[in-house]
Amino acid sequence: MATEALGDERPALFLRKATGLVRGWNVRDSLIYAVLSTNFVTLGLFTFTYAGPSFPTGQLLTSVVISAILVSFLVVAYTGLITTIPRAGGDYVWQTRILGGGIGFVFAVTGWWFILWLWAPIYGNILAIQFFEPLWATLGSPSGAAWFGTNNGIFVVSLVTIVLAGILVSIGMAGYARIQKYCIYGGLIGFAVIVVLLLINSHADFIASFNQEAQKIFGVNHAYEATNAAAVKAGFTAPSLGFGPLGATLLLVPNMMFFILWPNWGASLYGEIRGASDFKRVFRGMFFGLWITTALVVIFFLLMAKTFGWAFYQNANAAFFNGTFPIPVWPYPFMFAGWLVHNAAFQVILILVMSLWFFGWVGTLFLSSTRVIFAAAFDRVLPDRAAEVSEKRKVPLYSLILMLLPAVGLSAIYAYSTTFRTYTLDATLVIAVTYLFSAIAVVLLPVIKKDLWRASPASKVKLFGVPIVPVSGLITIGLLGFCLIAWLVNDNYFVNNPSSLIFMGAMYVLAIVLYVVARVVRRRQGIDLSLVNKEIPVE
Amino acid sequence: MRVFFATDIHGSEICWRKFLNAASFYKADAVILGGDVTGKVMVPITEHNGYWQVVLAGETVRLDTREELADAEKQIRNRGSYPAVMSPDELTELSKEEGAVDRRFSVEMIASLDRWLDMADGKLKGGAIPCLLNGGNDDIWEIDDVIDASPCVTFGEGRLIDLGGFHLVSMGWTNPTPWDTFREAPEEELAAKIEAVANLVPDMGRAIFNFHAPPYGSGLDEAPALDANLRPMHGGAVMRPVGSTAVADAIVRHQPMLSVHGHIHESRGIKKMGRTLAINPGSVYGDGVLQGALLELDPKKGKVSKYLLVNG
Repeated sequence: MATEALGDERPALFLRKATGLVRGWNVRDSLIYAVLSTNFVTLGLFTFTYAGPSFPTGQLLTSVVISAILVSFLVVAYTGLITTIPRAGGDYVWQTRILGGGIGFVFAVTGWWFILWLWAPIYGNILAIQFFEPLWATLGSPSGAAWFGTNNGIFVVSLVTIVLAGILVSIGMAGYARIQKYCIYGGLIGFAVIVVLLLINSHADFIASFNQEAQKIFGVNHAYEATNAAAVKAGFTAPSLGFGPLGATLLLVPNMMFFILWPNWGASLYGEIRGASDFKRVFRGMFFGLWITTALVVIFFLLMAKTFGWAFYQNANAAFFNGTFPIPVWPYPFMFAGWLVHNAAFQVILILVMSLWFFGWVGTLFLSSTRVIFAAAFDRVLPDRAAEVSEKRKVPLYSLILMLLPAVGLSAIYAYSTTFRTYTLDATLVIAVTYLFSAIAVVLLPVIKKDLWRASPASKVKLFGVPIVPVSGLITIGLLGFCLIAWLVNDNYFVNNPSSLIFMGAMYVLAIVLYVVARVVRRRQGIDLSLVNKEIPVE
Repeated sequence: MRVFFATDIHGSEICWRKFLNAASFYKADAVILGGDVTGKVMVPITEHNGYWQVVLAGETVRLDTREELADAEKQIRNRGSYPAVMSPDELTELSKEEGAVDRRFSVEMIASLDRWLDMADGKLKGGAIPCLLNGGNDDIWEIDDVIDASPCVTFGEGRLIDLGGFHLVSMGWTNPTPWDTFREAPEEELAAKIEAVANLVPDMGRAIFNFHAPPYGSGLDEAPALDANLRPMHGGAVMRPVGSTAVADAIVRHQPMLSVHGHIHESRGIKKMGRTLAINPGSVYGDGVLQGALLELDPKKGKVSKYLLVNG
């Protein structure tokens, strides 16, 4: 039997050649996942449009940096969970194992399945405003572009997104993961081109180009001045780029969670942990992904301030937010950057290249839902059929129905109800609750699962003798607790109105009802679901 | 009849102890361990003047008392590794001498299995509770005789075993893996081995296939896709079917009542393949959790009337 020794001078352990002893995966792969998940183009730009006008005196740049610092502790907490219980299934597995089957089911299905029904039209909306609208406009059909912003347009593009995500679930991650790599590289090249454009052009160049192209494409005269005037008319006064005041800036942090809370989205670990080095590897993938996103945002903001003018960028967002933006499409900064080159072909190519940030990301919409549905079906909480895969095409037909049909329904509500559209942050809130319970799990882990914790590489990572993973869990609880309180008490996030709360509450009620019904039905069938996670005594 | 099936405990002593307690805990009439019983890792504990030293999860630990030593050994065993106490010189020699590590590994594996089987005697009421053990592709050949010699455990490989009127046949071989393990064979050879045991079964309607390899493309065989250097591709997010086509064909052709599998730890699941209920309970032995399948077999109707995957 072939063996391998691990250690420097004297081996710390010997491994014999056996199934599953894989080498550590490339950190670059998990880093790409993290960068795409905390997608500063699709989610970030969307966030900035609404966040700035909601808290006009807050500083976007400072709030992004503060958010990234705080989310870094979430990364440490999740690294602890991943390296202690390195299994696919993530939050569902950790919460069921540490906190119990019912809690795990309720918070996993709400955060990783139900709320993704709402993410479908949000993804659709982003596809409309960052791809179809600018593309149609640049190709010479501004009225066609404006259609994508109508109720019908948003609904149709949401359906396109759902079909696209459904196809990706059907074909699996294998092909899509390769596409993801090409997308991130292409997207970064596109961003680099934009950086160069913004660096070599002056503020005066931008004003001239903006006015010229806005007139040419949309027939809007003096669009730059009109945008600033529209924001002022709406009562918005753009703050200059700076670092305070801290209070209003902190209130932007719950907004920023919409894009920056997801460095752990693709963080699954397979195979068997070898030692503390894996803690570093898992951590680095998520941490550097998070901070690459943060760096890209900082670069973007500074270039906006230099070339667009910081006030103009915020005025454009505020005018759009208040429905007074003179240009009839979403203020897509990268389309405006493309206007610095007076060539339609170049502008189209730039939009297409920057859309790679969307197409590299859209596959994440439903892929995790399948895992949770399958896991719940294997635990007999959902009907067995939910985990069935068609023989010929290997399509998880029933789980697709469970994901896609409600998503279509919610897309219709989102498209045709402008009020419902303002509940966008519900999508973040429900997942934040799921994360909150995982953070609670990581804090309780050393108490509830002493042996597991003691044997984990995570327990060895200490600062001044204090294990940093549970401490990071506590800080994460603080961050998510702060966000939850802010979302629920402050009207400016648009999530605390009665219908929004009923919408979210209904998801938790549905999850609880499903679990209780499953327990009752299975008991009648002679199957005791309480046995699923009950530990067999050792002695 | 209630049967508890688990698999791939890979030397985890805590999982073995749980397995032995599973019969009384789940009120099972029989327990089956599907293969890959032995561990993959050996942890040297060096003995010095009045203390011992060991590296646990990347951290060098000094053990000053025999209690601390015993505690460390227990911790190592519970995670599925073998503690091997030796002098620093012995450790140096072990690293240098060709084949020395393999020999020491074998010694530790057999000694551990012997201890385990001694424990089984008491827990399984001297054989009153039927207990079947089998090898898996990662198990060295020497364990077969050790298991076969046990008075309270039955060795399953290649045999037809009557389990309360149900016909159980076992095979620990798998299709080839990238690790070139012990009980691997090309699919054609595997098909011949399967036919040899399947031909022993008098009634497929009451048959249980206990085959270590899961059927190809069943969803019970999804493992992380690896590159040529055995690194998970795309951050471990891409899964690929790696089961056996011979096992899949045999299930489709013979349609046994039940088919239980292991081998692919990540692929916990259930799949209906025609009349056959195929199950892989998966394994998380490293966490000290015994994943298993509780199976209620109806002797009158000759079918699996209830099943539940558990994390014990």
